[in-house]
Amino acid sequence: MTGCNLGFINPLSVLENPGTMAGDFYSRNFEKKAVPGRIILNLGPQHPSTHGVLRVLCELDGEYVARCEPVLGYLHRMHEKMGEVKTPWQFLPNLGRIDYLHPLAWNWAFVGAAEKLAGLTVPPRAEWLRLIGCELNRVGSHLLWWGAFVMDLGGFTPILYAFEEREKINDILQIITGSRLTMSNFRFGGVCADGDSRFFRLIQEFIPYLRERLKMYKGLVTDNVILRRRLEGIGPIDVDMCQRYGATGPILRAAGSPRDTRQDYPYGVYDQVDFPIPTGPVNDSFGRYLVRLVEIETSLSIVEQALKAIPEGPIMMEKAPKVTWKLPAGESYMAVEGARGQICVHLVSDGGQTPYRVKLRAPGFSNLSLFAEAAQGTILADAIAILGSLDLVIPEVDR
Amino acid sequence: MRDPEKWLSSWRNLGALTLSRHDLAKEGLTVSAFLPPKSLLKAAQELKQARFSLLDVSVLEAAEGFVVTYHFDSLDGPARLALRVLAPKKKPVAPSLWSIFQGAEWHERESADFYGLIFENNPNPIPLLLPDPEEFTSPPPLRKTTPSSIAKLGLLAQAEVLDPDFGELLGLANSPNAQGGSE
Repeated sequence: MTGCNLGFINPLSVLENPGTMAGDFYSRNFEKKAVPGRIILNLGPQHPSTHGVLRVLCELDGEYVARCEPVLGYLHRMHEKMGEVKTPWQFLPNLGRIDYLHPLAWNWAFVGAAEKLAGLTVPPRAEWLRLIGCELNRVGSHLLWWGAFVMDLGGFTPILYAFEEREKINDILQIITGSRLTMSNFRFGGVCADGDSRFFRLIQEFIPYLRERLKMYKGLVTDNVILRRRLEGIGPIDVDMCQRYGATGPILRAAGSPRDTRQDYPYGVYDQVDFPIPTGPVNDSFGRYLVRLVEIETSLSIVEQALKAIPEGPIMMEKAPKVTWKLPAGESYMAVEGARGQICVHLVSDGGQTPYRVKLRAPGFSNLSLFAEAAQGTILADAIAILGSLDLVIPEVDR
Repeated sequence: MRDPEKWLSSWRNLGALTLSRHDLAKEGLTVSAFLPPKSLLKAAQELKQARFSLLDVSVLEAAEGFVVTYHFDSLDGPARLALRVLAPKKKPVAPSLWSIFQGAEWHERESADFYGLIFENNPNPIPLLLPDPEEFTSPPPLRKTTPSSIAKLGLLAQAEVLDPDFGELLGLANSPNAQGGSE
């Protein structure tokens, strides 16, 4: 027996069948390359610091991670198959359920791909409402990541503050989406509901409020010496590693590459707002932390510009697609900047009732794939810090 | 090197079967090509040297075989492009890009789960999103009972067909003066 599998030991089965290894298909496959004398530790799938049901097999040499391998699929729901057997209208609510922290970006990726394929034009007011919703949603996503990440590192209080802010954002988004978690207000050719005066008033109040709170966050967490020691110099991820694994979003920007889909491939009205792309001063876990905090401020300034620019007018195009709508034959590829990176939908249609192929590219999937290399040789506790700094949402990784 | 025309001529030299120009705003791609499987690694190596990264591996089942599309994006600015390989139904094998882009390992394992494809030289070819083979014995979930043809899907609507045999296989007119989608 090369290692003991702490997560899957069933004492009875080992007693009954001496000589057989504990564990399942994945741990037995992982154990094949194990060095004798090292421990194989199962992190997850229910470990609190793995954010849901991620499982990571680690081969430990003392406290050091000699080798590790994420095991996925515990939240796999086969959204791509559902996309093929349902009509675009029926599949639309699924998009809010892929990444529950930034559902509106996924809405945009799928609706945008269908609109591109069919050549639909969205009215300006709907485009601005999409932008406002998507950016507020991004702020909410980053805030929850911030709280959960600090909790991973042992600081419990910040997540309570983060949830207070997030509830305010949900109050705002509920007005235009009707829900607080799996939001889905995008429609082919527009959005389903207009913002009322209360919607705009709440945003006006929220922006200065959050800016004040961000100052408190800096004093409470960012400048905290314990947090700094847990993050600074831990898990450097450079541009080369991002390139090899296809990492995007805050990870790539923290590595120093100013790539942002909102500016590279402008969709909606992103070409009409002006915002800087933050890049990290350092490419370690602390750099990724800083980039996300700056992105919260960036999103707030985008929303501010949107509030000034949003015109009056219709929120759905004339002759918008009906339920019996069929996509024309052809393919389209739509990329959207989600909170975790580039969300892409590759949509292929043969002109039938349902799309022929819906490929969903989840940024978290590519970002997590570099974890095995980034965590190799670190102390286990640092590996957890690296995992948290990748900002994983497992339903999105598994789809 | 983000000029799409340079990539077209580079792929032409690698023996591309078809070349397509796309409208980035409408289709989300600049250029794409069908390559013979043996040229794929060389083309991917050139893309890596030009600071491109692999976005995803998107497979679909058509009547003629499995169309494996590799999407790439540049680290220097907007220049998304795609390479395609056709894996025949009888021998559903495609080359693995793992040796160049390590992130390809997971994308390929996912595609193998969904379609039963084999990616040659993938370092860890076990299921990724679906359960282990002892537990999951159904056929690959994204296989079609009545697949459409590539021509019907419009994947090569504006392609320049360089290989006559390939064009015949897909039922495309072999027109050397075919226009790119630049209107």
